[in-house]
Amino acid sequence: MEAFFANLLNGLSWGMLLFLISMGLTTVFGVMGVLNFAHGSLFMLGAYLCLQFVRWTGSFWTGLILGPPLVALLSVLVERFLLRPLYGKDVSLQLLLTFGLMLFLDDGVRLIWGAAYHVVHPPDALAGSVPLLSRSYPLYRLFLVILGPLVGIGLWAFFNFTLWGKLLRAAAMDRQMAEIAGVRVPLLFTAVFAFGAWLAAVGGALAAPHQSVGPAMGERIIIESFIVVVIGGMGSFPGAFVGALVLGLLHSFGTTFFPQLQMALPYMLLAAILLLRPRGLFGTES
Amino acid sequence: MKRKSFAPVLVLLVVVFFAGIGLAADKPVKIGFAYIMSGPFATYGQFAKQGAELAIDELNAKGGVLGRKVESFFEDTAGKPDVGIRVIRKHVFENGADVVMGLDSSGVASAVAPVMTELKTPLIITHAATPDVTGAKCNRYTFRISLNINQNIAMASAIAADMKAKTWTTAGPDYSFGHQSWEYFQKYLSRKKPGAVFLPQAELAFSPAATTDFSSYITKIMNSKAEGVLISLWGGNLIDFVRQASDMGFFDGKRDILMTLGAATEVLYALKDKMPTGIWVGTRYWFLANDTPVNKAFVEAFHKRYNAYPSYNAHGAYAAVKAYAAAAEKVKSTDKEKIVEGLRGLTLELPVGKITIRPEDHQALTDGAWGLTAADPNYPIRILKPIRRFTGDEITPPVAETGCKMN
Repeated sequence: MEAFFANLLNGLSWGMLLFLISMGLTTVFGVMGVLNFAHGSLFMLGAYLCLQFVRWTGSFWTGLILGPPLVALLSVLVERFLLRPLYGKDVSLQLLLTFGLMLFLDDGVRLIWGAAYHVVHPPDALAGSVPLLSRSYPLYRLFLVILGPLVGIGLWAFFNFTLWGKLLRAAAMDRQMAEIAGVRVPLLFTAVFAFGAWLAAVGGALAAPHQSVGPAMGERIIIESFIVVVIGGMGSFPGAFVGALVLGLLHSFGTTFFPQLQMALPYMLLAAILLLRPRGLFGTES
Repeated sequence: MKRKSFAPVLVLLVVVFFAGIGLAADKPVKIGFAYIMSGPFATYGQFAKQGAELAIDELNAKGGVLGRKVESFFEDTAGKPDVGIRVIRKHVFENGADVVMGLDSSGVASAVAPVMTELKTPLIITHAATPDVTGAKCNRYTFRISLNINQNIAMASAIAADMKAKTWTTAGPDYSFGHQSWEYFQKYLSRKKPGAVFLPQAELAFSPAATTDFSSYITKIMNSKAEGVLISLWGGNLIDFVRQASDMGFFDGKRDILMTLGAATEVLYALKDKMPTGIWVGTRYWFLANDTPVNKAFVEAFHKRYNAYPSYNAHGAYAAVKAYAAAAEKVKSTDKEKIVEGLRGLTLELPVGKITIRPEDHQALTDGAWGLTAADPNYPIRILKPIRRFTGDEITPPVAETGCKMN
């Protein structure tokens, strides 16, 4: 029983982190049709900026609040000056650009902060652990488990009840129609790209107290995020939530019950989904 | 008439002769280094470069090797075997390296070692620990200056034999390094403590290299019957594991813990006071393990130049450069074949202590040290106190056990 709860929480907290990152990835893809390879690097940048703010101010919260907007600002420039000229051209050009951006950011981070591993401590309020049956469980992980659904609900409300959210969905459904109806799609695209980057950076800042901050940390998480997005359905919002939870739980329970298969499990699930529901669990047939 | 025409030829000959000497004296000795310089393990390449540059500057300040300046070339293996082979070839064919050094990953080392017989260039491995390169895959040109898995695990099992724990499990990376560490641990500990029990394969905690969330592995170990845990995770994996395990109450004193690379300075610098105290940790070189003048001078020079204590990878690169210089002075040549002879059986005083490169398998017999992590106000990181030292002879398996058949 105890082991079950521990595994459940382990899986949920990891899943929530994956959800935040996949959410940005899937939104950018859903609205803009851009598969952003550099998404993991934006995640990494969020973690490094959090580290830097913690060094300057000593507070994790400033890092969490101030870091992600800076990353969003950078991605506004990227979208406006690098990505925009490529819309309507061959998709491989976009892939090349975002892949190049990933290499550029990874090396840039190494130049600025060095190649060493860094550690960010959780804020005092979330340090330590709480009793869980006969054991104890880290408070910061519980914070992630609770934060995930809250962010999810917030985003869901945003997409369903605000004008901007509705505009985004409209543009995602039919770009031309939205343009005819008077939506300024180029501006919307910039906003969506920045929003995706902001989500990635929030994920990075939240991951910083939980794992070591080091170069190429984004490359590790981006692969799992891609799996989440494919399982859930490209561009699907509930899909990203469910996909992330499934992957998180697969990770924790798989480690305990199928250790030899553990590395292959996510890929096996991916293959099964691609065979049975090529558009993902929540994907719509187009 | 005839005499007149001789004079210019004579002058020319004299000029060519002296220029030739000048050229030969100026031609530098070239060392090609191959480390991981990018990606998540880039910090290892960076440390190695620091150690190598310190050693080379020290040599050049004293006139170089055999009066020739030493020059270095660095290439990135990216931790990939095919890239490793490519950059080693580049060193030999393009950069004209007289010797190649480095290699962080056992996978890269296993792939590169057999290629050296074809390149006919000495290779000194400074980090990769797989027993194969001085075992089944040993060859005339491949040497290793650093501790290998067997030596490190021999120390781990000696310490484990004195512990209370009877049932053991492991947390390690899910590739050959983690599996080989566990394999040798079982082998050596059963010899020293016949009653030791090891958990079956399905209950061990091997994690992929890309893992950043270790909670499920930690839960698995905490739910197992094991009283002792051998942790062979290293670098970023070990940092993540230790932080997450501390939060989950893993270090509650209920189990005996051994970390085979827990005393690596890159790990200690990242964790600082988050590294629990009273844990047995090992490394390939510990900067406070001995008081010899050579070690003190090295630590002091390194700290002055880089404002950090030397990591084992910095020491490995430093040691390899010094060993090459010693071999060249011994045989009075930098000819590749002669250097091989010079390295074989070479005995040399290094910061880690006195080492001897065993001629039969080319593995260095080098002293090792494990210790208990402790806080000390004089150091920004956890240090080892007390330290348990082992001699190279007692921790190195006999040649017959290595499977090496040298041609």
